Amino acid sequence: MLAVDAAPNPWFDPSYVIDNWSSIMGYLGEHVRLTVGAVVLGSLLALPMAVLARRSRYLAAPVLGLSTLVYTIPSLAMFAFVAPITGLTATTVLVGLVLYSLVILVRNFLAGLQGVPEDVREAARGMGYGPVRLFWQVELPLALPAFMAGIRVATVSTVALTTVGVIVGHGGLGQLITGGFNANFYRAEIVTGALGCVLLALLADLLLAGVERLLTPWTRRAVA
Amino acid sequence: MRARTRYIVPLALAALVTAACGESGSSGTGGDDGGTQASGEACAPVAGEQLVVLEDDQELQNADNIIPAVNAAAAQANPALLPALNAVSAELTTDELIEMNAAVDVERQSAEDVAAAWVEENGVTEGLEQGSGPIVVGGANFTESTVLATVYADVLQAAGFDATVQEVGNRELYLPALQRGEIQVFPEYLSTLTEFLEGDDANQVASGDVQATVEVLRPLAEEGGLAIGEPAEAADQNAFAVTQEFADELGVSTLSELAEACGDGSLVLGGPGECPTRPFCQPGLEETYGLEFASFEEYDTGGPLTKAAIQQGEVSIGLVFSSDGALAQG
Repeated sequence: MLAVDAAPNPWFDPSYVIDNWSSIMGYLGEHVRLTVGAVVLGSLLALPMAVLARRSRYLAAPVLGLSTLVYTIPSLAMFAFVAPITGLTATTVLVGLVLYSLVILVRNFLAGLQGVPEDVREAARGMGYGPVRLFWQVELPLALPAFMAGIRVATVSTVALTTVGVIVGHGGLGQLITGGFNANFYRAEIVTGALGCVLLALLADLLLAGVERLLTPWTRRAVA
Repeated sequence: MRARTRYIVPLALAALVTAACGESGSSGTGGDDGGTQASGEACAPVAGEQLVVLEDDQELQNADNIIPAVNAAAAQANPALLPALNAVSAELTTDELIEMNAAVDVERQSAEDVAAAWVEENGVTEGLEQGSGPIVVGGANFTESTVLATVYADVLQAAGFDATVQEVGNRELYLPALQRGEIQVFPEYLSTLTEFLEGDDANQVASGDVQATVEVLRPLAEEGGLAIGEPAEAADQNAFAVTQEFADELGVSTLSELAEACGDGSLVLGGPGECPTRPFCQPGLEETYGLEFASFEEYDTGGPLTKAAIQQGEVSIGLVFSSDGALAQG
């Protein structure tokens, strides 16, 4: 209906993917880097927070409250707040993603640590375990399933959230989604970005499930 | 989004072939005896594929010509920067901008190819002053801005710079980045940038006069740590479009001519919901041009709904953007 002959606009277009392979891979790479970076940094931050929160109920409330409060900041606003400090860089997106991952990670880490039975810790202490050895050899293995569950949810949620980074030009595959919307609803581009996110999330979840299996062989033996 | 209308439009047109054919026929004959009627139908909507913009001959709309905005420090350090961008401004016309937008948005060519083709065709890279060093050209994430940023980058590359394009979201984010020098170049819009830098919504400093607005912008930009180049002929601003058939029937090409031809109050206006209250829209058309409207139909802001409504003969005239790819001449 337009004066200029419109090209067909299919939902799936392999030729779009082939023609734009290098830029798609570039966006995918950025998406993976941001997701991995956010979850790793988030976990490193969440672990001491969870350990701290377990110490007493008085510490747990502010730690959990703060991470939940951060989660309620709209992601668009978050990146806009951070951007003046870190500029239009991937760091801006990373900072936002790390903060968002905290709410999931801290809660799951805390739940995992709290799930370690008190008598098990008592027994370990009785056997002469110091606090460090107790943590690494008794508490961490027992809390690992809860930790991994948190990391898996955080990873999948981070894959989705990364797309919002388009507002500073570092949204990974989100660049394709908004790019397609703004190029007169270019379906092939939108679907490539969206499907890429879904596949990436699934793959990441699958990988982490495998890691969990490898790290906790005793859970399988116990079931079998 | 226009893609959706590609399905809706043929369906609607199929319905209109029966309805609208009869309608336009009656409006044709109605035009004859319409002269004798008090409330005529001379300017009732006429369906058609090709949209044309009626010239805003009394400058109701602010001049949103494309103008290169450059970080002031970068412009000072690289004397070859602004001349290269001005070479683009000297060649770029609204018609070419429409064609480039259509090539990307409708024909689905890549922005890079379209930009490279324009640079090649217009010979803007010849005899450029040479510079060096990395330059980041920013582009907002919509087609036109991406194409323009890529054109700038191509030309700067030819001028010896190592130019890259970085896409960014909205002006609130990228303008501070441009002022800080994180990005050095941005294809901006004259009046929008002027009003943004001026900051006071209530105070209108931009106008329909390109040169006057540039004079207002220059000191504002300097204050804000920016240097601006020359404005292009190409502009992306509010415009009012009709179908080619409608324009031909009435023999009008400007809004003033339309006002003369449509004194019988049979015009139907289409546009965004705020149109009846905003000075650039219905009140402006009524006060500046003396146009009278039979009714107003609410659609989107220069989007697929408004364009489809004009094409289908739902409205006689609608608000569009002057560089929209849908205005490309087939």
